[in-house]
Amino acid sequence: MPALDPLFVLCAACVILPLLAFGGIMIFTWRRPFLSLGISLAASTACLIIAWYIFWQRWGDPTPLVLNVDWLVSDLVRVPFGFLLDPVSQLMLVLVATISFLIQIYSIGYMWGDPGFGRYYADLSLFAMAMLGLVISSGLLQLFICWELVGLASYLLIGFWYEKFSASEAGKKAFVVTRFGDIFFFMGLAILVIFYGSLDIAAINAAAVAQKMEPWLLTTCALLIFGGICGKSAQFPIHVWLPDAMEGPTPVSALLHSATMVAAGVYLLTRLFPFFAASPPAMTYILAVASLTYVLSSTVGMVARDIKQVWAYSTISQLAMMAMGLAAAGLAHGTLFAGYFHLTTHAGFKALLFLCAGAFIHHYGTNSFFMMSKGGARHLTIPMVTVTIGALALAGIFPFSGFFSKELILGNLWHLDNKLWVSIGLLGAFLTAYYTFRVIFVLLFPRPEDHPAWDKYHEPLAGGHGHGHGHEEEEAHGHGHGAGPFSGHAPEWAINLPLIILAGVTLVLGFLQGTLERFLLGESHPHEMNYLLLVLAVGLALAGIGLAWWDWGRKGASWEGFLSKVPALEHFFIQKWYMDHFWRWFLNAVIYNLFSKTFTYNDRRVVDGGVDAVALGCIGSGRFLSFLQTALLQLNLLFMVLVLAGVGIYLLMGR
Amino acid sequence: MLLSPVVGIAILLCLKEEQRFLIRAVALVAAGISFALSIYTFAGYDKQLGGIQFVEKYPWVEAFGISYFVGVEGMNAPLLLLTGIVIFTGVLTMWELQTRVKEYFIFQLALVTGVFGVFMSYDLFFFFLFYEIAVVPMYVLILVWGSTRRIYAAMKLTLYLMAGSGLIIPGMLLLYSSSGLFTFDMLKLHGVPFSPWIQNIAFVLLFLGFGVLAAVWPFHTWSPVGHVAAPTAVSMLHAGVLMKLGSFAILRVAMYLCPLGFQYWAQFMALLAAIGIVYGVFVGLAQTDLKYVIGYSSVSHMGIVSLGLATGTVDGLNGAVFQMFAHGVMTALFFSAVGFIYDRTHTREIHELGGFSRIMPVASAFFITAALCGAGVPGMASFWAELLVMVAAVKVFPLRGLLAIAALVVGALFALRVVQTTFYNEPNPKFEHFEDVSPFLGLPRMILIGFLVFFGIFPQYMLGLIKTSIVPFIQGL
Repeated sequence: MPALDPLFVLCAACVILPLLAFGGIMIFTWRRPFLSLGISLAASTACLIIAWYIFWQRWGDPTPLVLNVDWLVSDLVRVPFGFLLDPVSQLMLVLVATISFLIQIYSIGYMWGDPGFGRYYADLSLFAMAMLGLVISSGLLQLFICWELVGLASYLLIGFWYEKFSASEAGKKAFVVTRFGDIFFFMGLAILVIFYGSLDIAAINAAAVAQKMEPWLLTTCALLIFGGICGKSAQFPIHVWLPDAMEGPTPVSALLHSATMVAAGVYLLTRLFPFFAASPPAMTYILAVASLTYVLSSTVGMVARDIKQVWAYSTISQLAMMAMGLAAAGLAHGTLFAGYFHLTTHAGFKALLFLCAGAFIHHYGTNSFFMMSKGGARHLTIPMVTVTIGALALAGIFPFSGFFSKELILGNLWHLDNKLWVSIGLLGAFLTAYYTFRVIFVLLFPRPEDHPAWDKYHEPLAGGHGHGHGHEEEEAHGHGHGAGPFSGHAPEWAINLPLIILAGVTLVLGFLQGTLERFLLGESHPHEMNYLLLVLAVGLALAGIGLAWWDWGRKGASWEGFLSKVPALEHFFIQKWYMDHFWRWFLNAVIYNLFSKTFTYNDRRVVDGGVDAVALGCIGSGRFLSFLQTALLQLNLLFMVLVLAGVGIYLLMGR
Repeated sequence: MLLSPVVGIAILLCLKEEQRFLIRAVALVAAGISFALSIYTFAGYDKQLGGIQFVEKYPWVEAFGISYFVGVEGMNAPLLLLTGIVIFTGVLTMWELQTRVKEYFIFQLALVTGVFGVFMSYDLFFFFLFYEIAVVPMYVLILVWGSTRRIYAAMKLTLYLMAGSGLIIPGMLLLYSSSGLFTFDMLKLHGVPFSPWIQNIAFVLLFLGFGVLAAVWPFHTWSPVGHVAAPTAVSMLHAGVLMKLGSFAILRVAMYLCPLGFQYWAQFMALLAAIGIVYGVFVGLAQTDLKYVIGYSSVSHMGIVSLGLATGTVDGLNGAVFQMFAHGVMTALFFSAVGFIYDRTHTREIHELGGFSRIMPVASAFFITAALCGAGVPGMASFWAELLVMVAAVKVFPLRGLLAIAALVVGALFALRVVQTTFYNEPNPKFEHFEDVSPFLGLPRMILIGFLVFFGIFPQYMLGLIKTSIVPFIQGL
């Protein structure tokens, strides 16, 4: 074996250490919470240090570095195990390592006293391993493997409180729905292997692809892979798993929705950006799908009453926005920077928003932000300040990070000939600002006790989510009772520290735009400021906030959205555009009733029944033959003579 | 390897029923020696050299050209290892058996002798002889130690397999008589250029005959019924190893001896396989008995093996053999986990169970691992096998290949549905007092998981070995 590159060893350690932590905790220490915590934290700290070390070591060196060893060599299928280090993957590596580290810290406080503490940390480690592996893998198949492992880990984490039906259901849904996308991804990979012969990311991104594959094949392949991205990044029509995934513990939601899981899809789009850009029809399709998703999720976000649901739909919409930015850049021969930069900033502020939500949920034992408001959420100073910072970033207000990245994406959309896309983008920006500040104003300005609005918001949340809260409440109250090895209260600092760090990141990251662009692309383009667009975007965002203030914030506000003037539309949004209904119907009617029932019936009646009929026929004919073998000697003799005579005649005739 | 179970049987015959511990110990030692030897052949096989190694060859009935000819090469070494693993863990799993212990272990070891024999034989006559030795004890094992509808199941299984044999014998004799060599040696028969029509007839006879045992659709219905009726370790052997005999025989006899026949029928084989894959998952989705569920998942997974064989490419065959191994270990794990739960609760209705992750976390973890493996999660051996087969299938039979890939999503739904209803949600208060797996009984399951994960992370150890015989095999086609 040749001497391994030290960087390879480091990368491998990044993937293997969390895996070892997972294995170790699952097999040996899952009954001991603190030991498990220690193992998991140690692994994640090591990853953090390695990630930053690699980042620092290769700063300013945009040449991609590929380090491979053979993993599996069959005939056509060759799978290397290796790493691709280039600015795109290094930035993401740092992002993932940092966020997952912060979330492990935060979880100490949030999951304190949970009976599954050890298992929780094992799953978190598995998640970190899968995501880190995904980010730096050099081949698409290795990426696919990690991709599936991300799905597995999210399944385990979303269904973490497995005794609750809604949680186990949500976990299953997440896994199966993303798997539905993954089969398209897999088909795309199979086509690539067969017609192109390589799954190496660098090779796929090379210009040779367009020469070697027919355009239609390239488009098919790109769209199939986009199917996988749709699943992971929750794009229409298979976004339905994501809002349900809120059943998991809140830190998990934060992890899933910021830098991991959902980001994996957009990351793949970025990773294969040149490949996708080689097929304009595919890019147009992606742009259309993402725009539809953007509008859908923004409108649903306007009517949700669960704080996590609002953030969940905002995640879908922001992911759609990244995809739009990338697709538009692909069509206009731009760079991947806008979409990718938004991915980075979004990771920071979305983690922040979720962790703040977690702090509120942990404190008040409810997911409804109306109830939190009643409980006096404004008095939790640190979460309240940080959630506002996150919301400002989400709405795209200067000087928070979201402002810079959104501006870039809108700029990309502006360059397209068809102005429809940029108007969708602007509409989305308006809606986003509105629903974000709806939450903030409700939290900040509670209505007095006797306000008529309480009649509406007192009732428990509708649908499957209603089940969740009892348990969550129980969890929250169960804390601090000192069950088993846990004594005393959960450490407050563990919750607050990550909030402050992330808020700082949200404030600073926007100003690093130029630096990051130089790092990613090797050069920095001076952006000509498009003042019209700037004014439009910020103006619309401010208008959204203003409208939210009018509906929810001001003294005499009725706490009714402007949407309630159009009840049909509001109902349509509350029902989430009936997408859940559609899939439920599809599953029940088509999969279970049509295929499963028919096949089972066929199996029982036709295939098995046929065999049994043959068997019965055999028994019947056996009976008939045995009937000939009666005890009547004469009859038997007669039969024998007849047969012998027949044989004799046959032989004689034969001569 | 072959000898050790036979010696074990001989010793067991001398023991009395009362000496339970001794009986178990002897069975365990016999199985353990086989296990150790199978590991030895697996690890000791020289990959650089290739070909058939560890050969033993003695003439037996020279007039008919029958000789005892066994050996190990790349394609059967994994299956021998599989058999070793399953018998060893199977004996450990049945440690708590109380009724007719002696007879049970005798039959089980007899079955295993047959299985080892089939995998190793290069002589057609001995191949068939061992094949029958492996099949017949099954009848007794299900009939005496079985559960639900055991008489019906045992009868059905035996009749089915006998019908299969009824097809195999004419196929084999056709080849034997038309070769003009008067030898049963497969290597020599392989060199005979049979005329295409003989190959076509012989291939379809052999394929259908062995296909019954490999649960090729539509000859699969014996298998779920048989699984349900059989006791735990027999289910493990049955699904884990016995079904592989069928697909291995298709590879080793039908495809090897009738290459032209194979080319003629390959489309048909792939069609049956693809239907089996899709059909298995959909029917499994509607089942409520845990063992039925696993039984149908086996139908689907064995479909993947057949699909891989039908492609006739290096990737496909590599994947098929790998899948035989991976599926064997996986179903063994499945059945041993179910067996443990059934022994305690006496029910396998998934709606009656529930919340077992709380009651028996370790036992549940075993089942969930197997289910995830069945759903094709990476990091487990079966992922690689499915990957290879699917890619090869998409290349050779695009439509059927894509159909098979699409079935993967239903497969995931199907595995997770069972996991959810059985192990998640609120526990059924009826079962709350049960204890978890003891470390001793956990050991066999840990061994199975260990192998699954090991070959999931280092597939090349297995694949490099399989390839040494598949590449010349394809060249011979």
